[in-house]
Amino acid sequence: MSLLEEVQEEVKWDMTPMIDTVFLMIIFFVCIDFKVLESKLQAYLPKESGTRAAIAEPREQLPVRIYVESPGVPEYQSGTAAGLVQEGTKRPNRFVLKDHRVRWEVGPKPLYSVQELTAELKRIALDPSSQVPDQGTGGRKLLGCVIEAHPGTYYDDVAKTADACNEAGFREISFGSGLGGK
Amino acid sequence: MDMMKVAQQHVAIDMTPMIDCVFLLMIFFVLIIDLSQQNLEDLVLPRAVYRVLDDQPPKNRPVVNVLQNGSVVYRQRVVYDPAVHGKDYRPIKELLLAIRREGLANKAGRENKLVGGRPVPLMDVPILIRADKWTEWHYVGEIMKQCCQPDIAFWQVELALSEVDKEAGEKDRNRTRR
Repeated sequence: MSLLEEVQEEVKWDMTPMIDTVFLMIIFFVCIDFKVLESKLQAYLPKESGTRAAIAEPREQLPVRIYVESPGVPEYQSGTAAGLVQEGTKRPNRFVLKDHRVRWEVGPKPLYSVQELTAELKRIALDPSSQVPDQGTGGRKLLGCVIEAHPGTYYDDVAKTADACNEAGFREISFGSGLGGK
Repeated sequence: MDMMKVAQQHVAIDMTPMIDCVFLLMIFFVLIIDLSQQNLEDLVLPRAVYRVLDDQPPKNRPVVNVLQNGSVVYRQRVVYDPAVHGKDYRPIKELLLAIRREGLANKAGRENKLVGGRPVPLMDVPILIRADKWTEWHYVGEIMKQCCQPDIAFWQVELALSEVDKEAGEKDRNRTRR
């Protein structure tokens, strides 16, 4: 083979490894989207509940109350309805609650949005009178808050409230167990 | 080239496509068949900005799911259904007692604490409550209330949240606490 023929020889690109890699990446990213990483909110319940001989000292806590302003209307996907179950899972059909609104009360002040709630909680957190003795260190710390969800409130309302408390700087957040159904 | 030469020619088998296919299948099945996800019901969790990532969950952590209608599902079995049980929360209590018995039998995180003057083994493995964002809070609260009963004594409860609101498509990765 002469040098000229060698230079003119057609160069064939082997596309197989590249296509394989692309497919691998597509499958990886498609599948990873199904596994949205979950997070958690830790809640520590009292260890020493029940009858006990020792007298527990009362703890000063800031109550954050959630009341329902508008219960909302459940909206089902087209083709589904309340009372029916899904074909595959046999679980009840899922709804999305529309026009559900709540009101928060921190002390006597009513608040109608998460932004208002956060601002009020931040104001309280910065107030020197919100500092309470820390029995662990002997110093002072920000008082804890307790979320009291009234009938008709949803898990989403409580999660948003806890979020606002965290943003304001409260670290000891307790949850009321709910005050009954609607 | 005569026939003899053709017959003796060395045939090289290219293994690359086969190995690629095997890898593809492996990745597919590893991602799809995740046994740890079997206890998780298909729920839309509420989104929270301040949260702790659940990337290293404790081994054998019990996961209790609460559906929108308040049904409590554990290991794909409906334990409590408000339409059937109403305000009779005994099935939830029995479930938590069973989880506790199983946990103590495995001796996972056993710790004795004085409760009411008597030593009670406490479960130090947390329990994860997963509820849909549109689940009434009092169903979740009832489980929490049962958890802190002296005979159950699950004092660590984790509430499942999401970094994404699947309904609204909102996402915030910036303020995750570890």
